[in-house]
Amino acid sequence: MGAGGGFMLAESIKHPVEHLIPYAVPPEEFSSGIATWYNSICGMCPAGCGISVRTREGRAKKIEGNPSHPVNQGRLCALGQAGLQVLYNPDRLTAPMLQSGERGSGEFVQTTWNEGLSEVASRLSASTNNDGIYFVSEGVRGHLANLFELFMNELGSANLLHYDFAHPHSLYAANNHLFGERQLPYYDIRNSRYLLSFGADYLNDWLSPVHHGLGFGHSRQGNGDARGRFVQIEPRMSISGASADEWIPATPGSEGILALGIAQQILAGGNYQGTDADDWNAALATYSAAYVEDKTGVPADTVARIASEFSHAEPGLAIGGGAAGNHTNGVDTLVAVNALNYLVGNIGKPGGVVFNPDPVVGSSTAGRQANFAAMQDLAENARQGAIEVLIINNTNPLFTLPPGAGLKEALASIPLVVSLSSFMDETTAMADIILPSHTYLESWGDDMPQPGVGFSVGAVSQPVVSPLYNTRATGDIILGLAGKMGLGEAMGWDSMEDYIKDGWRNVYERSSPDAGGFDSFWREVLTSGAWGENTRNSNSVVIDKQVIDNIAVAEAEFSGNPDEYPFVLHPYLSTTLYDGRGANLPWMQELPDPMTSIVYGSWVELNPQTANEMGIQDGDLLRITSEHGSIEVPAVTFPAIMPDVVAMPIGQGHEEFGRYARNRGSNPIQILAPNMDAVSGSLATSATRVSLAQTGRRAAPVKTGGESRQLGRNIVQSTGADGDSAGHSAKLNSIPIVVDPA
Amino acid sequence: MNIMERFISSWQKYRKPGYYEDFDYAWTMSIDLDRCTGCSACVTACQAENNIPIVGEKELAKGREMHWIRIERYWEGEYPNAKLKFIPMLCQQCDAAPCETVCPVSATYHNQDGLNTQVYNRCIGTRSCAVYCPYEVRYFNYNSHHWDSPLDQQLNPDVSVREKGVMEKCTFCIQRVRQAKDHAKDDGRRRVQEGDIQPACVQTCPSEALVFGDRKDSNSKVAKSLADPRAYHVLDELNTLPSVVYLKKVDSDG
Amino acid sequence: MGNEERQMQFADVNDDVVRSLTETGRSYYIALATAIFVMLACFFFPWFYQLYYGIGAAGMNHPTVWGTYLASFVFWIGLSHSGTLLSCVLHITNSEWRKAMYRSAEAMTLFSLMVAATMVMVHVGRPWFIHWALPYPNQMELWPNFRSPLMFDVMAITTYVTGSLIFIYMGSIPDFAAVRDRTTGWRHHLYVLLSLGWRGTDTEWHRLGWAYTFLAVLIIPLAVSVHSIVSWDFAMSLVPGLHQTIFAPYFVVGAIYSGTAGIVTVMYVLRKYMNFEHFITKLHFDNLGKLLLVLSLIWTYINILELFTGWFSGTSTEYEQLKYKLFGFYAPLYWEMILFCAVAPLLLISKKFRTSFVPMLILSIAINIGMYTERFLIIGATLSRQYLPNAWRVYVPSLVEISILVGSLATFITLFLLFVKIFPSVSIYEVKETMETPKSKKGDTEWQAAH
Repeated sequence: MGAGGGFMLAESIKHPVEHLIPYAVPPEEFSSGIATWYNSICGMCPAGCGISVRTREGRAKKIEGNPSHPVNQGRLCALGQAGLQVLYNPDRLTAPMLQSGERGSGEFVQTTWNEGLSEVASRLSASTNNDGIYFVSEGVRGHLANLFELFMNELGSANLLHYDFAHPHSLYAANNHLFGERQLPYYDIRNSRYLLSFGADYLNDWLSPVHHGLGFGHSRQGNGDARGRFVQIEPRMSISGASADEWIPATPGSEGILALGIAQQILAGGNYQGTDADDWNAALATYSAAYVEDKTGVPADTVARIASEFSHAEPGLAIGGGAAGNHTNGVDTLVAVNALNYLVGNIGKPGGVVFNPDPVVGSSTAGRQANFAAMQDLAENARQGAIEVLIINNTNPLFTLPPGAGLKEALASIPLVVSLSSFMDETTAMADIILPSHTYLESWGDDMPQPGVGFSVGAVSQPVVSPLYNTRATGDIILGLAGKMGLGEAMGWDSMEDYIKDGWRNVYERSSPDAGGFDSFWREVLTSGAWGENTRNSNSVVIDKQVIDNIAVAEAEFSGNPDEYPFVLHPYLSTTLYDGRGANLPWMQELPDPMTSIVYGSWVELNPQTANEMGIQDGDLLRITSEHGSIEVPAVTFPAIMPDVVAMPIGQGHEEFGRYARNRGSNPIQILAPNMDAVSGSLATSATRVSLAQTGRRAAPVKTGGESRQLGRNIVQSTGADGDSAGHSAKLNSIPIVVDPA
Repeated sequence: MNIMERFISSWQKYRKPGYYEDFDYAWTMSIDLDRCTGCSACVTACQAENNIPIVGEKELAKGREMHWIRIERYWEGEYPNAKLKFIPMLCQQCDAAPCETVCPVSATYHNQDGLNTQVYNRCIGTRSCAVYCPYEVRYFNYNSHHWDSPLDQQLNPDVSVREKGVMEKCTFCIQRVRQAKDHAKDDGRRRVQEGDIQPACVQTCPSEALVFGDRKDSNSKVAKSLADPRAYHVLDELNTLPSVVYLKKVDSDG
Repeated sequence: MGNEERQMQFADVNDDVVRSLTETGRSYYIALATAIFVMLACFFFPWFYQLYYGIGAAGMNHPTVWGTYLASFVFWIGLSHSGTLLSCVLHITNSEWRKAMYRSAEAMTLFSLMVAATMVMVHVGRPWFIHWALPYPNQMELWPNFRSPLMFDVMAITTYVTGSLIFIYMGSIPDFAAVRDRTTGWRHHLYVLLSLGWRGTDTEWHRLGWAYTFLAVLIIPLAVSVHSIVSWDFAMSLVPGLHQTIFAPYFVVGAIYSGTAGIVTVMYVLRKYMNFEHFITKLHFDNLGKLLLVLSLIWTYINILELFTGWFSGTSTEYEQLKYKLFGFYAPLYWEMILFCAVAPLLLISKKFRTSFVPMLILSIAINIGMYTERFLIIGATLSRQYLPNAWRVYVPSLVEISILVGSLATFITLFLLFVKIFPSVSIYEVKETMETPKSKKGDTEWQAAH
């Protein structure tokens, strides 16, 4: 009943942060010196890991993974651990605010919820065109997504968008195209013996990194003598690339061609026995090893070898994403990767691609995910004057969209911008009315993680502390607005908690209701932190002949011609800052980037030889120019990047977003070309060519690591492939193991 | 016992080889380099659990890192055959710790669990322990630290907040070890079982590269790690008898 | 400005020394005021700032946790060996030429040790608890850790300070008595106390000589052990480049070397500004110069030995230390050290050089700068390059540290300036021993009667 405690706290005290021991007569489970744990759901990235939060005296102290949650099984990534700093961030918005000066001037006055809600409700009610109401939220699932749908439905508007920078639109499109699946499948890395990753940084940010980490660890050393092999294909070594057995640089944008080349080798080797082998052979005829070598730069015998290893592994699994999925040919690339899985027959098998059932809770939001094309349309509609009200919820398109989308200018044509975000980020700074929401640690919610783990999994997120400030849960704000607008009929719940509980009665009904009743079921869900059901999707797959015939990957297109702009810019999601959301968390700013050990700044990575040829040294401030803008970033040499590729982490370069994020580093998204994948309409983030120039100044990035070569000191030791030690003897220096008697 | 007898019995206890076999527990951590992905979740988990301060950009520019566990990274080879290897480095809780002998005020000593403990209250800040540590895992508080309110609400009440002038380092989450021992006692069990206690870093590691346990328990995972042919100690030649064992990364060049 | 025509009388020695105590020119007060001001502004003020903000005011970082404070500490301890050498070693070898200088040299020892002690307090992170390093019974039932080389330091240095203090005081008793008899006012009362009723009887002289020699013999091994122990602060670590057996003799030789150079500097100053020209002569500089040359050669040998060890070891760590010192970030300092301490002293081969005052002064200062650099390199450069390459970091001293270094010098000068006006800075009775017994002149009966 930890849930109840949270609300009691909310009513009884005004300023919970000021007292060491706030009560004379504390609630039940509030004992000084004894920790109370609450299960909830992590809200730091879309993976949806389950968390257990340790609280002492009403304050959140430590976030751990929830051992019962199938996605992360008790483990948690660095960003998840830093969730505490989202809750206790000094730059949180504390109360509803009204813009008092010009939009963007930063002048706000505090107001009451009543006033704020009334104002927004009246403006919404007064809108002449229902479709002029736009709601752009971060990607949400579960009942909150349902609530948004309900609300927009009641308003009569079809313009509900979920906008996340890193949403894998191309992956969804590819799965839909080849397999007819609307959900993302579960990629069973854990049981795979050979993982072929085309640009997918599965250990860092792709889909569900903690779950993949678990799978990686198990595949490596948890499986007896069998050790999984990992191959990474990308132009710049990522974290996953560093952990791979083989890192293969391929020409940017040619990963799909490589995939089809491997597929062709599989067929040529006679390793595919399906009935549609002829169709495949015909479709892949052009992708000979020589052709592939020409287009990708990967030697023909490597292609052949990988094809052989992949097809003989039992099982092999191919995944794609990251830069590979973010070119103009992204969808085609990922279709090619999917094809590999199909050809080795791992669909529905352990260690392969397992399709996920539809979410039990929350409608599928696939259709609502706003790709770049949709955001461009939004900006265009705004400019046409078609948008009357824009409601933003915890998403920051002004930071994560390239200026080519024209959103910032388009905002000027929108009469009312409302933000429900918890922080003053770039987009919220342009709002007229701010109705700040709770952070995820203070909110009720639920989630069915996507991609799932092959069967139905769900969890409920509950507040772990009483709200710190005069904010409200996002769902409660929507319900409040609905109330003010007289939509009480359709949306008559008192609070988000009620709404979720109501929704979970359906789940209760499906899971063989027992004598305990719904209340005991509800309590069980909260105390365990996860709910599961053995609902599975069918894994039989039949691919249309036409689809096979049309399988092809065109060469990627780039903005800028190679003469003026000799380098391809490879922006990647930072380990510590993700898409910029971690920039206001001091722990994340201070966490050294694993590959370069740089903190508190941006940098651009260059191949050492390239740097040498251009006379660039570590710490030189470079000007990176694309056809769409330029930024200044210090240079860092990086041994594992292609000579004509430069890479830069995303996340810094905020102009707002608090004291830790503001005016620090540069945002590579600013200079990205508004190129899109033709099929999915998603932003082709890797399709921008740039030129480098010395500014003549130096701005050495702050690094915590010194020399990054071992110089023969055998600090990180390795064995040969078969596990027997080479070099240093494994004999340890007298560590006794005393056997406990009995 | 009078002073002389106590002195002699302590002397005998600590001077015989293998004296650590008489420890209550022998906490050991094993780090599998074949599983470590360099994700640095352990670093942040440790920071959250142990009230590790945020030193800020200016201090970091001067080189004053404050992370009790750090991920060291080493490149090998050149493009296109460059490899990057990660190794988490934390206090090795050496049984023959060079840092313990040099502290003039005995602010660091070996406790009955085989841990190398740091007594913040006793430390006068000569920093000789940091010089003597070959793993360079001791961190000094060059300044008093400040948390912008309300970030200080997150501070763990089980761990002290160190003032300036005091040395600190990884303690294998000794507060959790103590708690586990207390619980075991309350439960009537006399010993802490495998899995009862995990330091923050071990608990959060997504790839389960970090494993923690009592090597005196022959069934524990760490005891098995010690017997693994891949096991080795970093800087083994210095004979510091560390309690952290690393498992070699498997190099499988294609 | 002695009288060439008139032979120097014993009384002249007393006169000169007493005059040096009682007659003070303006330049002295200016010098003293400047020294005190610099001491307050450059030592105490930055130190209090550091006490407030933490050791972060200095430039140390992770893992170079030791910096100029400890280098200064070792340097000042090194300088303190000057007195020991001159007083004790040369006393036992019956060197005549030391007699004019050794009092000031012993004073240098004492004050160097005091300044070194303050450097320890500046260096430590929580100096308000530094008394915990002393073994005293307390409520915590805790004794300090006697296994620690730093504790050996505490013991050794305390013993050395105590020993030197007793030594200098005891040797000065006859001089206090001599000055007592010639001064009035507060000085007279002070010296009455300090001279302990010395009457100059034979028994007293005999006892003094015996005790003096006894202490001299005792202090020599003490001095050797003090600096060996200081070197073991470093040598007992596992740090590559510090963990070497050569360190104990290296430091002792270095200490005597820098101490002797310090004596040359002080002697020049005393000679010029205290009118001690007939006490401190070319002969003294000549002998000091020879001593410096020998020490320089030994010092150079030991350095070559270190280079050889680094190369011969074949290990990455030791070799890296060698390479880093010679060609790395601190290389200019390293070569400056070699220039000042190994190359420049070769000039001492020439007797003309040894007997020229100003060149000797310049060389002695250069040697001390070089020796300070050596201590700095031992600490800063070796800590920058330890076993784990990922933890390598460069250390640059901050303004506060440099200021405190300057301030420590000012403190030393202040103490010395105060010393020369209160203590007879030249040993009266020993100088008299070097003089020829003056012949009594015709008609000097009154003089004889008076003395």
